[in-house]
Amino acid sequence: MKLDLSLIANNINYIGAMVLFIIGLYTVLTHSNLIKKIIGINIMETSIFLFFVSIGYVKGAVAPILDPSTGEKIFVNPLPAAMILTGIVVAVSITAFSLSIIIKIHEAYGTIELDEIMKIRSVEVDE
Amino acid sequence: MSSLHFPVYILMLLLAFAVTIPLHKKPYGRKFQVLMLSVLGVSWVMALLELLKVLWDAPYSYTFGNYERGIGIEFLVDEFSALMTLVVLTLSVLIIIYALRDLEHEIESSRMYSYFTLVFLMIFSMIGMIFTNDMFNLYVFMEILSLTSVAIIAIKKKKDTLMASMKYLMMGAIASVTILMGIALIYMVTGALNMSEINLEISRVWALYPRNILLAMGFMLTGFGIKAAIFPLHNWLPDAHSSAPTPSSALLSGLVVKAYVFAIAKIMYRVIGENISVNIGITNYIIIFAVMSMIMGSVFALTQRDIKRRLAYSSVSQIGYIFLGLALASELGFSAALFHVISHAFMKSALFLSAGAIIYKTGIRDVKKLDGIGYEMPITMTVFSVGVLGMIGIPGTSGFMSKWYLGLAVLDAGHPELLAVILISSFLNALYYLPIIISAFLRERPGKPLVMHRDKLPRTMKVSMVIVALGSILIGLFPHLVMDIIQRAVPTFIGINLGL
Repeated sequence: MKLDLSLIANNINYIGAMVLFIIGLYTVLTHSNLIKKIIGINIMETSIFLFFVSIGYVKGAVAPILDPSTGEKIFVNPLPAAMILTGIVVAVSITAFSLSIIIKIHEAYGTIELDEIMKIRSVEVDE
Repeated sequence: MSSLHFPVYILMLLLAFAVTIPLHKKPYGRKFQVLMLSVLGVSWVMALLELLKVLWDAPYSYTFGNYERGIGIEFLVDEFSALMTLVVLTLSVLIIIYALRDLEHEIESSRMYSYFTLVFLMIFSMIGMIFTNDMFNLYVFMEILSLTSVAIIAIKKKKDTLMASMKYLMMGAIASVTILMGIALIYMVTGALNMSEINLEISRVWALYPRNILLAMGFMLTGFGIKAAIFPLHNWLPDAHSSAPTPSSALLSGLVVKAYVFAIAKIMYRVIGENISVNIGITNYIIIFAVMSMIMGSVFALTQRDIKRRLAYSSVSQIGYIFLGLALASELGFSAALFHVISHAFMKSALFLSAGAIIYKTGIRDVKKLDGIGYEMPITMTVFSVGVLGMIGIPGTSGFMSKWYLGLAVLDAGHPELLAVILISSFLNALYYLPIIISAFLRERPGKPLVMHRDKLPRTMKVSMVIVALGSILIGLFPHLVMDIIQRAVPTFIGINLGL
């Protein structure tokens, strides 16, 4: 079967978004360092921003600013970009909040490695 | 004053009060408590008037700024949303009355203002999730809800609350990312964010994009499954709900988890539509997960010795009942699910509040050490028993009625084997709940004679607990008070397209 390269080239941003999503999920699931987990979540969020903005893209179109003198007829969809602004705000607040909890965890346990915290906690339970 | 704008007034009042709480200069005290309860009281009255208006007149849709549907954000004010808002506000009022005294020994007084800011933001976002008819708006409210619900756990300065809230935050973040991906996929197919618009669009084109819709539903159901703690995705819930301060546990188990269930219900039946949900087969998957939750939640609960962890695992199994009702995709099943949402909210709040009262008074969390506690704290243990009997499904409590409706719905849908699952789960409930009551009322603690005392609890805690328990009995004895409204709300989800 002949692989249609143009299909991949045309949809490269969707493929990229999905690959980023999986990389992010993999990072969250496999790393025991809490900061790395936060980075993984950020990668997942970025992949969705890419995906969302790609939906609004129209080939050969211009930014949706009406200018009668140029006579442009095709505009990109501005709604996804507006939504992604909200999405970025949400992502920043999640990141900030989780980093502040990580600081508290570091104060309490002296480490941010999940497996070491689990060891400390299992010793505490035994006592 | 026209009650047309009441949903927005409720939201505005809660939000405005929440953001002005940190401006209070005086130390936390009686004046602030009265102010807080009056704000909640006013919004409760508005929710009640709203429900009456919807029942007498007709449901309506509220568009912001008079932009037409599809351009602006739309609120759908119907029997479902008005009833659920009233339930959320009723339980919030009762739990906050309880919290006035109970919180004093769980978090330091300098943090009281922050705590109530978070609680008000949380109630605000839950009500927003119930009313909204817009996918992205739903996402934003959901994010506010998940951040604030983590924060009211983390506010208690203890080592295990930190890890529990971190786990909850991580799982919640993954879930919201997946849900946003689902919304993006739906938006890609339909080009709309308004739920009714999407429904119109999707019912026309779904045959062209079945795989896309299946993928979107997979993402969204996984996300909401994490947030609503259905079995294989539940593992954040027991830590989070058991280590939180008692009022937070009651709010989280009784109400917050339900807000996500409403979101799933909306997406399955209002956005995608009943026909398509059944046709692409997602209801069958949900039935499997619901059954696993019902059984495994109870099995895990059996092994827990910490009373709040046992209650938290029991939430997992009760969420299974709600999902089972939703997944039957019939009018009976859906109304049983909504009924169980309300009855579980009352029962689980009663259980958490009375367990919290035991911890407040004696500091005992181990269920094996509760011998004779029924003589020391008769009112508390009576409330606890009402909750327990409801969970098992003894006639006269709301739990019996919701299991009755669920059983009828299961038989009506032609799945008699699921009835056996409901029965097994009820037996398991009895197995892990009844020993607590038996040892509390019938066993003697060594060195302590069985003499009846009066509970030495603050009056606010006793009153709110007793009202929650009475609410549970009231719904159990007169289920039609709630069921009539639910039966009017169900057709907006199942059977027809939105008639608005």
